[in-house]
Amino acid sequence: MADTGVSTRRTLRLDERGTAGPGSRTDEVVIGLSPAFGDFFTKTIVDIPHAEVLRELLAGIEEQGVHARVIRFRGGSDLAVIAHAAAKLSGSGIAVGVLSRGTTMIHQKDLVRLSNLELFPQAPLMDLDAFRKVGRNAARYAKGESPEPVPARNDFMARPRWQAKAALLHIKETEFVVPGADPVELDVRFQLADAG
Amino acid sequence: MTTSARRSKRTEALEQRPVNLDGFVEEWPEVGMVAMDSPYDPEPGVRVEDGVIVELDGKPRAEFDFLDQFIADHAIDVDATEQAMAIPAVDIAHLLIDPRATRRDVLAVTRGLTPAKLLEVVKTMNVVEMMMALQKMRARRTPANQAHATSARDNPVQVAADAAEASLRGFRELETTLGVVRYAPLVAIALQVGAQAGTPGVLTQCALEEATELELGMRGITAYAETISVYGTEPVFCDGDDTPWSKAFLASAYASRGIKMRFTSGTGSEVQMGNAEGKSMLYLEIRCILVTKGAGVQGLQNGSISCIGVPGAVPAGIRAVLAENLIASMVDLECASGNDQSFSHSDMRRVARLLPQLLPGTDFVCSGYSSTPNYDNMFAGSNVDAEDYDDWNVLQRDLQVDGGLRHVPEAELLAVRNRAARALQGVFAHLGLPPITGREIEAVTYAHGSKDLPPRDVLEDLKAAQSVLDRGVTGLDIVKGLDAAGFTDMAHSLLAVLRQRVSGDLLHTSAILTPELETLSAVNDTNDYAGPGTGYRPSGARWEEMKRLRHVVSAQNPEREVG
Repeated sequence: MADTGVSTRRTLRLDERGTAGPGSRTDEVVIGLSPAFGDFFTKTIVDIPHAEVLRELLAGIEEQGVHARVIRFRGGSDLAVIAHAAAKLSGSGIAVGVLSRGTTMIHQKDLVRLSNLELFPQAPLMDLDAFRKVGRNAARYAKGESPEPVPARNDFMARPRWQAKAALLHIKETEFVVPGADPVELDVRFQLADAG
Repeated sequence: MTTSARRSKRTEALEQRPVNLDGFVEEWPEVGMVAMDSPYDPEPGVRVEDGVIVELDGKPRAEFDFLDQFIADHAIDVDATEQAMAIPAVDIAHLLIDPRATRRDVLAVTRGLTPAKLLEVVKTMNVVEMMMALQKMRARRTPANQAHATSARDNPVQVAADAAEASLRGFRELETTLGVVRYAPLVAIALQVGAQAGTPGVLTQCALEEATELELGMRGITAYAETISVYGTEPVFCDGDDTPWSKAFLASAYASRGIKMRFTSGTGSEVQMGNAEGKSMLYLEIRCILVTKGAGVQGLQNGSISCIGVPGAVPAGIRAVLAENLIASMVDLECASGNDQSFSHSDMRRVARLLPQLLPGTDFVCSGYSSTPNYDNMFAGSNVDAEDYDDWNVLQRDLQVDGGLRHVPEAELLAVRNRAARALQGVFAHLGLPPITGREIEAVTYAHGSKDLPPRDVLEDLKAAQSVLDRGVTGLDIVKGLDAAGFTDMAHSLLAVLRQRVSGDLLHTSAILTPELETLSAVNDTNDYAGPGTGYRPSGARWEEMKRLRHVVSAQNPEREVG
């Protein structure tokens, strides 16, 4: 199970800026968020705040000198669909897809949808460090590099403990799907919550 | 409950039990979070006009979704259906457990049953009755077993050695998958080479995205395919860009090359993907089973598979999982019956989940026993792993049931692990792939898992994996590599496996190859169970083999051990 310790409390503000279009800069990674990420849902299956998830992904991308763009995909709750749609909008062809419960994927626009560059299927194992590394690797793919894949973590007991809860979370996320909806561009703002 | 209240010592002891780490949830029938008893499942019924099913389980043809249409037109025998549907469900259940009714008698009825009727039949049965029925309805007379051979580092040397050991221990099918999918060609080659180092004739497959899986099969880098998933609702099918027709087309692509294949499905996948349309897990799984039947595919891997945590979390879920295995067998499909995914923190619960398939016997008791420690299992862990080998052998011996495995002395295991690694070294050298060092071979011979192995140059391996695809390497190139490296017997075995696609014998229901490289299937090894004293029972040389364990005190000299 992931270490969920987060020292500060940040809140996430996501403002919609209209339909997301294809990117023109080749040095960008698009992060595709699932329908209820940072909205109805506020944390992953192991209670990591979505604000921290997004912050780590963005930090991982930006530390490589790569530009990041965040979109929300309402058309489906299938991770491959979200990540591939985001990759097709990405100027570099590289995107990260992330579901509310924490399942994450790095995709590339020219791969078939059900393939991927890297997949992190076990949401309960995704901690802050893992999200940072995912962002970093996505940025390195965008720069045309061939990074070592983020080491796959594997807890074979995640399924008996979390799978049924994951199903309930997914059912809930799927309730927010708007079939055929265009992806929307998001403005991302983090705010430090008042400690009091 | 108040937290300040004083707790009983017994409660504290029980709280520490592993079973309390498992997840359990309440039923929620409206979204399909219910095993097999939902008020929203349809009532059975069928109506035929002019040789066409015009009403299925209360739904007129105009309202059919594509699963209804496929099942009505391709899975249900329209000539048998009205007569079969007229038989009360409980009478069909009686037929299933009555040893005087043959398997063939049952098939004459089940070929005409609708999904809701099949559900109604199994709902009248408890787990013991289902096991009795499964014992008779399993397609192949002789049960078998299948293993996973994977590596947390996708290390091909490890996969070859574990495949060899699994093959020697008795598994007749081996499958692998990847952490990093681009590693697939190297690991699939390693699996196929290792499999032939144990006992000849073991079939291998590599679970991948379907196009790549097909390509590896067509090239002879794998010998069968299993990861062709079907789902019980239209939206979940569409999520995979598929329809029953596209899956049937894919199945025919394998058949056209004489390659064995089965579909995969299981309870819980639709609710897991959020589109169960308010139906029970088992009802939706029955639709998958009939889609498989309608596609003309010989078999199915089911038993919830990767979604086992979902039925496992609701009441009667494991009964439903047994029911889905039974129904696959009831419609004359090969059944690779699950027990292939980590299921519980509780050893007691792991065994209880296993017995309903182990005791009656299925075509493959596990559709993936982990031949590695579970930390290396890239299918996210199995219900049983390499550390359970001795327990499994003891269960077989205690109960005199054949789970397909045997105890093998350590010296023999070390020999085949070493040989597999050396053979792979030769094949890699022949194909110009990154070298396998003597240090790696030494380590893997004695290793338990990937933590015991030196790391490989992953980037070089990934480049080489791409070159395998770009250069069009085939199974025949592997045969040549084995022969060139002096592993002539393994070259012969692998060639024999490849030749099966010319004869097409592995397309028969439940086909496996024996160590003598002969096909054993439901055609030449038909399950003839007809009550006590009949059917498959471990005896003769096989029973003697099953008596051997790691530690058995000698009757001749009780100061010594045999085995």
